[in-house]
Amino acid sequence: MVKHNARSNNVRYKYPLPIHPVDTTSLPHLILQNPLSWIHWSYKYYKLVCNSTNLCDRINVEITGGDIYPHVMVEDAQGMTYLWENGFFGTGTLSRSEPTWFNRTDKLVNGTEGWGQDSQLEKITRNRRLERSEFKKLREKLENELLILRQQSNGDESLEKISEVVLKQREQLRAFKASQEQNHGDEGDNTVNDLEFDEQMFDDEGNLLPLESLELMPVEATFLTFALPVLNITPTQLFQRVLTPTPTYETIHNFIIQYASYHHYRSHGWCVRSGIKFGCDYLLYKRGPPFQHAEFCITVMDNDSPRDDYTWYSRISRVIGGAKKTWILSYVSRTTSKEQIMKWWEKEQYHKVFHAYEVNEIIYKRWVPGKNRD
Amino acid sequence: MADVGNITGKKSVKKPSKKSRNKTHKDNNITNELSNDNDDLIQQAADSDLEDDALGQDWSEIAKLNKKNAQLIIPKRGEKDYEPDGTNIQELLLYRAREAMFDALSNSARGGIVKNEVKAVYIPNKHSALVLNPKGTFLQTMGNVDNDDNFWLNFNEFLYLAERGTVIPYCLKLTSTSTDKLYEDDNLLPLGIEDIYAFFKTQHEMDQFSVFAHLKRLGFVVNRISAKDTTYYSNLKQNFLKSATHSVFKQITSLFISQKTNMFNALFYNPLHFKFIKYTSTPQIYRKLKHLIPHAWVPKNLYQLQDSKREFINQKSKGNFLELTYNVWKPQTNYKKKNTNLPDYQVLVYNKNDNKQHFPTNDDLKHIFASLNYKFEFLDEVDDEFEWDKHSYINGVSRSVVLKQTQKKKTNLSKPNIQSKPVKNQSKKFRPPSTTSHAKQMRRLKNGYRSFLLAVMDNGIISFLKISEADLGSEDVWYVPTTQSKIKKTQYQYKKRQSPKSNTTTDGTGKLV
Repeated sequence: MVKHNARSNNVRYKYPLPIHPVDTTSLPHLILQNPLSWIHWSYKYYKLVCNSTNLCDRINVEITGGDIYPHVMVEDAQGMTYLWENGFFGTGTLSRSEPTWFNRTDKLVNGTEGWGQDSQLEKITRNRRLERSEFKKLREKLENELLILRQQSNGDESLEKISEVVLKQREQLRAFKASQEQNHGDEGDNTVNDLEFDEQMFDDEGNLLPLESLELMPVEATFLTFALPVLNITPTQLFQRVLTPTPTYETIHNFIIQYASYHHYRSHGWCVRSGIKFGCDYLLYKRGPPFQHAEFCITVMDNDSPRDDYTWYSRISRVIGGAKKTWILSYVSRTTSKEQIMKWWEKEQYHKVFHAYEVNEIIYKRWVPGKNRD
Repeated sequence: MADVGNITGKKSVKKPSKKSRNKTHKDNNITNELSNDNDDLIQQAADSDLEDDALGQDWSEIAKLNKKNAQLIIPKRGEKDYEPDGTNIQELLLYRAREAMFDALSNSARGGIVKNEVKAVYIPNKHSALVLNPKGTFLQTMGNVDNDDNFWLNFNEFLYLAERGTVIPYCLKLTSTSTDKLYEDDNLLPLGIEDIYAFFKTQHEMDQFSVFAHLKRLGFVVNRISAKDTTYYSNLKQNFLKSATHSVFKQITSLFISQKTNMFNALFYNPLHFKFIKYTSTPQIYRKLKHLIPHAWVPKNLYQLQDSKREFINQKSKGNFLELTYNVWKPQTNYKKKNTNLPDYQVLVYNKNDNKQHFPTNDDLKHIFASLNYKFEFLDEVDDEFEWDKHSYINGVSRSVVLKQTQKKKTNLSKPNIQSKPVKNQSKKFRPPSTTSHAKQMRRLKNGYRSFLLAVMDNGIISFLKISEADLGSEDVWYVPTTQSKIKKTQYQYKKRQSPKSNTTTDGTGKLV
């Protein structure tokens, strides 16, 4: 299943950033002694440049919600897929992460092949939960059998018998799990029909309305306007809506350190997504979620107000350790005065603002003496 | 006083301990009370060797219950039942497990041999203990000898050994005045374990002891960090002028560089930038993006480590930072107390409930990282053949030289030291050969660089953390898409190599025909 998608994923997620490089390989050969080839070449080049980056039509964002909880939303379908496919930005409001709701539901409504290929993620989650509950049911059944056996018995012979039964049961459970894993691929899950459709989901002609939109984190939106301008909004407009129209240092400080950290990891090639499910700020994927699990969890640490609560550290480290990820504390420290930052901010020299913050990182890991003796 | 170097005879200590089958169930305090006429009393276990034996006996008792196995096998831990299920079987199993434990405890030999008794006398104004007749395996890793050939245990070691029954704790009677017979039995007063605990000066000291004892019991060698320790840092003298000019130079260049990057950034983050400037590959864009957020410099090899150490020494005595407490070595047989090798870990003890202490802040961490002085494991990663002895220094002299000198002395005095060499070969780690650059990068990212252990104390519960310096800022992980032409090219070359004559017929790649 995964292998089947590997090639198509490579084509689909060819570019890790929403601004594409010019593909010079498709240019014709430039023959220096032939002026005609120059003309041909420059024409091709011009065409390439115009097509390569969608700078002519920037993606429209809407900032909804009140002043306290602004949401940065992308609502048109093309923009949503573009942002997902070129760097995995944003989260679909009705999906797990990739905005797949429309395709999923459309196929369900029209009855074509149930869950389509595009909605693998949701399908996988669903199947996994079903399998797990089946497994748990079997385990409970076996445990009950064992209990009855134990209640009936006493003495040494029955002890041996019980341990035999335990071994057999374990074998059975293992076999069951293996068979489940084998069936993974060819289970065409067509029976899912428990969705109830609401009339408001359709237009007058009975077509499904695109109800889903893509929500961007404020730092993502900043990256997509300030660093790589693909949204049709200026950084200043964005900050005024997302932060506050009348900024003071205290109101923007937290956002700045969050963005500095986000940009730091993005710019070294990581795919950075929200880490809220692991109790941290960011998750770092190599390339992106369809390719690999996230290896690192990032918590942005404010150098001005250090955390002194070991319980807090211990909690998060346990959650992250349980998911076999590495926890990185990313300390962001300001290298110039607050006044200077505010001056630059008011002049809209954001690159100077962010450049005045330095990142240093530590890895936090539980250490068990007994496992590190040799 | 026995010299430390001459204590070698493991076996000579061991033999009498096995013969002792006299069982006494008296605890520490009783033996202490009776110890004035100590000649006909059996004391507590005299040295740690005996304890090892006792450990074996314990398990053999349990193993005997399992009648199928006559051999000594440490039994595997059974599986825990999830909850009481009210069955007789569960009761029976529980009962047996409990019995096995009590049997093991009650059948083991207790007590020690009077001849092997080691007395340690606590001296309050030194806050350490004088050992009157030092012997036993603990000498290999603990204690030190002063200029008058007196053998001293520091307070941690004293309490730890007293708790294990390896030394018998005493203090001097207040009335004792005569100087020549100061340590005669008449002047000594036996101490209980509780008494020794009362000698702790602060809560922090007690926390530190808990960590010390915990690691010791697990077999680690633990010593307090001191200025005389072996160091990786060779240059003891400071060239202040040189370092001053160096730092001024650094400041100027950094100013210049930041000006330059600001100019670059102003261009790159101009909203119209991508309209006018085109890039031919994604890495080009990434490289431009990278300039925005500066990241801290992390030393990665020995020279950089020494540089950072030099800088740290110059900046020292600024502010009040947390200090490391212990050097920790993994359990090992070739530990040398006099000329130690670099420790495997360094530990900082922190009590989470003490208002005067705080979890290390970023500045603390920087300070701690700079002051670290251990066997930097990431250097091993870089170079498999890295020899630490050549790169660690005792009083400014390389450790390998020091070791050779001491070995020469030994060979002059007695038999050649046979043991040291084969042990060294064994300790060389096995490493899987030739891993890919991706895997190596991942290992670097996940392990980080300089690291220390933080022992967090919470009402007697110790949890350890390993805190390492990470550097994601100097690794690039972006994906470089393989362009169409590259694939074509390699295909073409491949075909060409296979059939050099038939290249006109290959029309798979359009350009050839």
